[in-house]
Amino acid sequence: MTNLIERQPADAPVLHVVDGKEVIPGDLNAFQRLLRFLMEPFTAAWRHRDLIAAILRRELRERFSGSVAGWVWAVVAPLISLITYTSVFGGAVKLPNGSPANSPMDYALFVFGGLIAFNFFTEMAYRAPSLLHEYAHYLKQTMFPAQMLPVISTLRAATYATIGLTLMLLCQLIFGGTLYWTVLLLPLWFIPFLGFLIGITWLLSAMGAFTRDTAYLMMTLAPVLMFATPVFWSTETLQPTWRLVWYANILTGFIEIIRDIVVFGELPKGLVAAWTLLLSAATFWMGYWFFRRQQEGITDVI
Amino acid sequence: MSSDGEVVIRARHLAKAYKLYDSQGDWLKQQLPLVGSARTYYKSFWALKDISFEVRRGESVGIIGRNGCGKSTLLQIVCGMTRPTKGEIWVKGRVAPVLALGATFDLEATGRENVLIGGAVLGLKRHEIIAQFDSIAEFAGIGDFMDQPIKLYSTGMRTRLAFAICAHMNAEILIVDEALSVGDMAFQQKCVDWIDNFRRTGTLLFVSHAAEELQRLCNHAIWIDGGRVRQGGDVAEVARAYKKAIRFEEDSMSRFSAV
Repeated sequence: MTNLIERQPADAPVLHVVDGKEVIPGDLNAFQRLLRFLMEPFTAAWRHRDLIAAILRRELRERFSGSVAGWVWAVVAPLISLITYTSVFGGAVKLPNGSPANSPMDYALFVFGGLIAFNFFTEMAYRAPSLLHEYAHYLKQTMFPAQMLPVISTLRAATYATIGLTLMLLCQLIFGGTLYWTVLLLPLWFIPFLGFLIGITWLLSAMGAFTRDTAYLMMTLAPVLMFATPVFWSTETLQPTWRLVWYANILTGFIEIIRDIVVFGELPKGLVAAWTLLLSAATFWMGYWFFRRQQEGITDVI
Repeated sequence: MSSDGEVVIRARHLAKAYKLYDSQGDWLKQQLPLVGSARTYYKSFWALKDISFEVRRGESVGIIGRNGCGKSTLLQIVCGMTRPTKGEIWVKGRVAPVLALGATFDLEATGRENVLIGGAVLGLKRHEIIAQFDSIAEFAGIGDFMDQPIKLYSTGMRTRLAFAICAHMNAEILIVDEALSVGDMAFQQKCVDWIDNFRRTGTLLFVSHAAEELQRLCNHAIWIDGGRVRQGGDVAEVARAYKKAIRFEEDSMSRFSAV
């Protein structure tokens, strides 16, 4: 099985394409093909790890190029929004799910967790459609693995989400006095969320390469989606039948889980967690499948 | 030269079609599950129609042809940037494309940082680039500019740096696309010397529309015309036939305009 994962014989051809299809050495049955496809994003990312690191370093520097304070902004921006929410919603004695708020900080953290997830999503949704255009010169003139660009840009956005999350945990510790042990589950929340966002970015960037409408569509949809996502409130205030509808939006699941583990110190509800995981896995591989299907056309039209 | 060496590039009946859509709406219709499979909404433009050739290890092969004959598309296929629609391409070994030198440079970043990025884009590992760093800087010969942002570089300096990176890839197959005409005479000579040296161990694919350059660097040539191989073989023969045809075609044009 190990030979499926990158380990090609040393004298294997670097490039072998017949009639527009890459020739994969060895005979694979249907199951092996599926396994190979499922592993492909990971093996490719590992193979190109040095390239991913180099471009990521460049992207992070570029984000603040020309600014004096640089990284300070990445910390100050979420801090300001956190302070704003605390002072605006500080008077609320009850959290939107009905449980009493212990401190003015509680509702702020409640909102902040949702905002981190939602802002991470919108950053990707806005950038993805133009992502491949930004890198057109790479795609046309070098042997650049285009499928890694969505991974790189998601990782870039992830560094800012991580700063926000760290800030959230610090506030919880300082004002709440304690961190719940369930905080340890955060990586288990973060990785599927990254997978979901990379999948979405694959989908949107491939569509965006062909038509600018994708960018306009996202600019129209994302603000509307804010109201279809329980950022400022909880679905627990809704009637049970209505709640199910909200779970069709995968962000609902992600936002409720991060609140459960950071703000309330509870384990996420099993069904919500399973559903969210399923949706994010489906988005990841469907996005990858779509991107790979369009990739040939992308280099030709961009 | 060593014409009994093993084959490193094999192309069999390569053909490449670009899909041309009249509107983006047509593209969208083509993507829709049922609508798209019912009919085709695009026109195909065949940039390459039928290209077959073999390149053996250690050979220097020139590809010649007029603008729009399909040279660049062929190179992109050999590099793996785009896939052929029909036919087979088989390439073995590390390919260094000296195409559009410096196109990927980040203007805000310093030369040093761009060496790291450029090297990574060409497929080098980070430690490989760092190990060769001094050698790259020496080859480029741009001195203290190495630590300045690329936006302050002249075109010649960018070319120098880009070629220096390519020259340190330890490539087995070098693909040069008329990139040498930039830079001053001294640097051009340095590049040509380096390529001459490279040819002793590596395989060269050189693309040009000038027959003289081809004869200087190559021992075999392939003449592409209208997406097909018009003539292949010894460089002197192909160059002679090519020059003759160019004269004839120019001639015929001026004759028509005179009438």
